[in-house]
Amino acid sequence: MKKYVDVYKQCMYSAIQTASAYRMNFIVSSLITLIGNILFPLVTLLIYRAGTSFPGWSLYEVLLIQSIFTMSSGLSSLVFGGLLWTTMSHVREGSFEVILLRPLNPLFYIVATTFSVESVGLFLGGAALFIFSALHIGAISALAWLQFTGMFLAGTAVLAGLSLMMAAMSFKWVGNSRISELADSVLHVGKYPLPIFPKAVQAAATLIIPVGMVGYLPASALLGRAQAGDFIAVLPCFVFLWAGIWVYRHMIRLYEGVGG
Amino acid sequence: MNRLKYNWLICRAVAEVTYKEWSAYRTHSLVSVIVGPVYFMVQYFIWTAVYGGQTTLGGLDLQQMIRYFGATALIGYLIMDFADWNLSMLVRTGKFLTFHLRPVHHRSFALFQKLGHRMLGFLFEFLPCLLIFIYIFGIDMRPASLPWTLVSVVLAFLMNFYVNYTIGLTSFWLVQSGGIRSAFLLVSGIFSGALIPLDFFPHWLQVTQLFLPFQYIAYMPAMVFTGHYSLGGLQLSLPEAVGMQAAAVLIMFGCNELVRRRAMKQFTAVGA
Repeated sequence: MKKYVDVYKQCMYSAIQTASAYRMNFIVSSLITLIGNILFPLVTLLIYRAGTSFPGWSLYEVLLIQSIFTMSSGLSSLVFGGLLWTTMSHVREGSFEVILLRPLNPLFYIVATTFSVESVGLFLGGAALFIFSALHIGAISALAWLQFTGMFLAGTAVLAGLSLMMAAMSFKWVGNSRISELADSVLHVGKYPLPIFPKAVQAAATLIIPVGMVGYLPASALLGRAQAGDFIAVLPCFVFLWAGIWVYRHMIRLYEGVGG
Repeated sequence: MNRLKYNWLICRAVAEVTYKEWSAYRTHSLVSVIVGPVYFMVQYFIWTAVYGGQTTLGGLDLQQMIRYFGATALIGYLIMDFADWNLSMLVRTGKFLTFHLRPVHHRSFALFQKLGHRMLGFLFEFLPCLLIFIYIFGIDMRPASLPWTLVSVVLAFLMNFYVNYTIGLTSFWLVQSGGIRSAFLLVSGIFSGALIPLDFFPHWLQVTQLFLPFQYIAYMPAMVFTGHYSLGGLQLSLPEAVGMQAAAVLIMFGCNELVRRRAMKQFTAVGA
């Protein structure tokens, strides 16, 4: 275990060193990622500015959902952000063997070496929007914070599971740079209050691909709107993460070093 | 006349080769068959909830709004382009030299490539998604005026290409234009009207958009499709709107030509 912690720490250090070697590129790409991801509340702002709303949700409550979504994306991206592209590149070039030959768990090795420092900006941008929205929604009880923390971690697990599944897909769908769009489209549901969707979509977004846990359910917990049944949705989130790990490891076993 | 025929033959050959080349990756295009309808479905429910009891928002009723998002998604498949990335790569690696020596202007070559690439997009992205929108979502995807919509989409296609090609030309100075490209994609994503119709923006921002290229790429063709164009207090009939779009494309082409001539003076034929 200590070996894995040491390797991870070393990889984080290398990632930070690499980022500081190309400071301007790091700053520009962090800023663009940050601006690009925090701009999606713009649609919400314009909707509310036009004098309408999501029924039952104030502007700051919707911004709270979207800020939690951004924070969760930043956190997941920090750890799993580079997984898809690195796996895809190794599979396409037929160089995954190099990873298999190392005296470490290949999944751990890939995750550790793709630590994405740029995602710190995304997390911090989400956090700033979160503080701004939270200040406008009134007092939040200690129990609500506790519930929020559990749900936020579950939501981050969903994003990690999605990253793993997308990366696993690249073992078979070789070189398809559009795989990430599949995950992005599904995640789009998690950026808005779930009650605006039909019951079937709500059920799928809570129990099958629990994207509702990425933004909506943790925000509901903070607002004191979480129902007892919502907490059951924490379980499928971790099952989803476990499924992602299982699928990725299974696909490693199916890997054929062809390249080209 | 012979010159025209010669250019047509080159256009056909380049478009055909590009079509065949990208056909090898046709399953990549099929990702759109899932992604497009999922995005559309989310937009559908968002706007159905937002309209609630209201009849119009931003000058559009709910049906027009749904048709607007359907149109922007479908038009996006027809005009999608990455000429900027391609040109940037050619400059960075020094491969642009081989194009400089060919008896075909690189801009024309890139445009013909885009034609072939989008023909594939028409078959594997546009048509399946159009059928899904019509038969699964039950959306009326008949344009208010087919001829004007077609002209507007062709102009949007050209506008998108010239804007992207101009962004790509910055590589002759910067070598790596990834930052500018990302920044442009970000601004274009917001101000083209693909996220939300521009009628929702503050009035001063709507007026500004009349002088920028973004609205001519998505918002204007989508509004021509719905049969009603207005922005920043300016209401135009379909022929007037398409005429304004044509003028904008000509201006953009002029700007592109100016930048291209300057860029050629920077070219050193050495890769980085």
